[in-house]
Amino acid sequence: MQHFPILSIVTLFLGAFLTVIFGSKNETVRKFIALIASSISLILVLMLIKPIMIEGNIIQYWLGNWRPIHDWAIGIGLEVDALGLFFGIIAVLTIFLSVVFSFKYTKKDSETDKYYVLFLMLSGAVLGLVFTGDLFNMFVMIEIMTFAAVGLTAFRNYQEGALEAAFKYLVLGSIGSSMVLAGTITIYSQVHTLNMAQISALLFNNLTPAALFAFALLLAGFSLKAFVVPFHPAAPDAYMSAPSSVSMAFSGMVNKAGVYAIIRLVYVLFHAMDFKSIQILLIIIGTITMFIGVTMALAQNDFKRLLAFHSISQIGYVITAVGVSTALGLTAGLYHALNHTLFKGLLFLTAGAIFYATGTTDLNKLGGLAKKMPQTAAIFLIGAFSISGLPPFNGFVSKWLVYQATFEANMAPVTIVALLVSVMTLASFIKVAQSIFFGQMPKEFENVKEVPLSMRIPMWIMAILCVITGILPNVVTKYLVSPAVSAALNMGKYIDLMMGSGYAEKILGKPIEIPNIDFTLAGYWNPVAWLVLFGLLLIAITLVAVAGGFNTVSLPTEVDDPKYDVFFSGEASEHSHVKGNDLFWGLKHDLRHYFGFMHDAHSGIINDYALWAIFTTTIFIVYIFLLVP
Amino acid sequence: MVVLKYLFNVLVFPGLLFSALVGLILSGLDRKIVARMQKRIGPPLIQPIYDFFKLLGKETIVPRAASRRTFLYAPVIGLLALVTVSLFIPIFKYTAVSTVADIIVILYLLTIPAVALIMGGAASGSPYAGVGISREMVAIISYELPLVIVLLTIGKQVGMVLNKGAITFSLSQIVSYQAEYGPMITNWRLIPAALALLLIIPIKVGSVPFDIAEAEIEICEGPLVEYSGAPLAIFKLNHAIKMFIMTSLFVTLFLSGKGTGILIVDIILQILLSAVIVVISISTLKAITARLKVEQVLKFFWTYPTALALLSLILVWIGR
Repeated sequence: MQHFPILSIVTLFLGAFLTVIFGSKNETVRKFIALIASSISLILVLMLIKPIMIEGNIIQYWLGNWRPIHDWAIGIGLEVDALGLFFGIIAVLTIFLSVVFSFKYTKKDSETDKYYVLFLMLSGAVLGLVFTGDLFNMFVMIEIMTFAAVGLTAFRNYQEGALEAAFKYLVLGSIGSSMVLAGTITIYSQVHTLNMAQISALLFNNLTPAALFAFALLLAGFSLKAFVVPFHPAAPDAYMSAPSSVSMAFSGMVNKAGVYAIIRLVYVLFHAMDFKSIQILLIIIGTITMFIGVTMALAQNDFKRLLAFHSISQIGYVITAVGVSTALGLTAGLYHALNHTLFKGLLFLTAGAIFYATGTTDLNKLGGLAKKMPQTAAIFLIGAFSISGLPPFNGFVSKWLVYQATFEANMAPVTIVALLVSVMTLASFIKVAQSIFFGQMPKEFENVKEVPLSMRIPMWIMAILCVITGILPNVVTKYLVSPAVSAALNMGKYIDLMMGSGYAEKILGKPIEIPNIDFTLAGYWNPVAWLVLFGLLLIAITLVAVAGGFNTVSLPTEVDDPKYDVFFSGEASEHSHVKGNDLFWGLKHDLRHYFGFMHDAHSGIINDYALWAIFTTTIFIVYIFLLVP
Repeated sequence: MVVLKYLFNVLVFPGLLFSALVGLILSGLDRKIVARMQKRIGPPLIQPIYDFFKLLGKETIVPRAASRRTFLYAPVIGLLALVTVSLFIPIFKYTAVSTVADIIVILYLLTIPAVALIMGGAASGSPYAGVGISREMVAIISYELPLVIVLLTIGKQVGMVLNKGAITFSLSQIVSYQAEYGPMITNWRLIPAALALLLIIPIKVGSVPFDIAEAEIEICEGPLVEYSGAPLAIFKLNHAIKMFIMTSLFVTLFLSGKGTGILIVDIILQILLSAVIVVISISTLKAITARLKVEQVLKFFWTYPTALALLSLILVWIGR
């Protein structure tokens, strides 16, 4: 039990090294190694659920058994509490499904040994980041993560824009890492320790100017890793150019690693959520992120790029909810983080399936694929409805919690923006549905086939998880989210377990409080309603059956009769497909000044983006110095 | 016994049969009133019911380019969501499903019929439907903003009085607030919100001047262009039920009061009030206006109704 966290990390890194040694020649060997490594790590992490989530323990592990001497942490320690494990579960699930999806998906690529090496490095780094209890170790993991991600972004370097995307990611990622490093150094010079538990204890009620400076730097650095606006410009390019299985990992866990780091930073390391100004800072950047992300997504013409902007937008929800800082807000944020991994992973896999089948993800070239790929279309619709927050899918539950949390905290404008963003999300996925799966099919896709089973299995698993987390919110909250919320708020226990019991009380000078995470919901999506819905579904299917929906004889479609043609009023049918670009004219027209401004702002010049990052960091520093007492 | 009660609720009252019947009659009323306003005689009151049964008997043609399953299921999914909503909306003090009904849930459930229409239209493969769904989506974005603000305003007002400032999204609390303090409309702070909701009802049911999505003369009923027979009948039914649900929601949110305590009288009262709202907000507007352009709809809803709703929200916020 004690060794599970370190083993789950080491397995992934070991898998990466073994792939280099044994897998460079043989495809089967490297697939085997990747599958074994990811599934062992999946099992090990899932086995931690019982002791940590349910029994409420915290696992601490000192590498090389370098335990603290005289209450001073020297060695590197892993500390897995429910918050870390929550993100760990998200990460291993993504890793496993992504590896399974990769098997067939990378069939047409050369040098897949490098793919698996980099992918396993990325996975190990993310898992290490969420399990570590040491600030410098966190930085190291972030570095490994960033560079593996850069390599994977440029993996299909024969594609236009892949190298450019990797370069952008490299520059911005390095800026982020430098900020994290600078922050870490500043904290170390202040408190002479790198152990997060001890830093947390020593910084309690002791926020010197140096500590505040470090806080601002770390916040900016982690925000960059989570691709919060205006640190986001590397994300769309990277998500678009990377293979879809990697894009899924980027949005499923690399993003989440940044979110985890922010939560750990503001709740545990600096206890900053007691300050109203920090709450407002997070809510502001979260709201801006969700709005700009979704409006940019509306203007995109590439499926994966659109998904990338939605990733940014959904992270905005998470950051906003986390910023609300009540137990309800944190629950909403973590629930949404989990849901985002599920539905966005699903959607990226659909994009991968489309690319695999047709060789493009351009919304203006595709059309009518639902007839050729019915399962992919169904899965896509589940994902699209989940992210748009339609009941009964999972996005609805977490967004509902976000609305409630923000409105309860007297943040009505944020609630209104959040609801509007949700509708715009729906709009842009309707655009995708119309331009990829429905409408007229271009001639060149006549021979498109459904993707192989090994690609459909991960997609179906995610789709089913989307429905389950939507239907059983109480179970998910009770066993996964609430323990994580409680862990984030209970930093006394976090400190005590790492540094020996009684340490926290000695340093903080007061007994540890057990946080109260009871929250009253102002009304809830009651599962009883589900009985009604299932009854309704039954009736509906009967109705369709009566209307001839299942009776294929009564509705011949292949007969060569002009009455089965679509009405075109005389135009040639091949020019009549309504493409992605043609939709939402009214919206684009009314908001043309805004879209024009955003178009100009995203100039594609890396210097501009680096400038944004530095500028925003400066604003963070000034804001925190001015407003945090 | 419980199952039987559910089945009764879902199928008869206040579910499928009741809301379908009332909805169809209300839309007949709407047609009649508009005709009279335009000095025509108009169809009989139960003409929509005749139309519905006539359509059920017609041949169902699925175009070759369509994705069959989505095309056929879309209307049914829409009907499903509408019947579910009808279970959640209280009629004075009576609610069919003894669960905490929630305005955000209703807001989202009411989006599903529109999404079903969009999906069905998209699945038909027609370019007219393509244009139609694009317009329908613009319409959704237009009205969602003021609608959200109206609902939040009511939640805030009720929560401030009943829950010591904590907001409520619960419909049953909204109803009990009105039973205690009189209908919501009697509070002057909420009158702008009521006006905004009156303007939202026509676009939600897709009637002139906001029927950009179905614009018969421009794009041949948009998403419905390829539909025929039973699926079209169900879409028409959805339209009628939506009309009843939206007006009934207005009655529940703004005009509900103590009620008489006798269920049957309450129901009749609810239907009569809904009919009044249909006449005020749908028929009158339909008779005196022409269709707006696509970009005008978005601009209109993001200015006047949004401003009215925001005004109410601010008044409620500072009036505590």
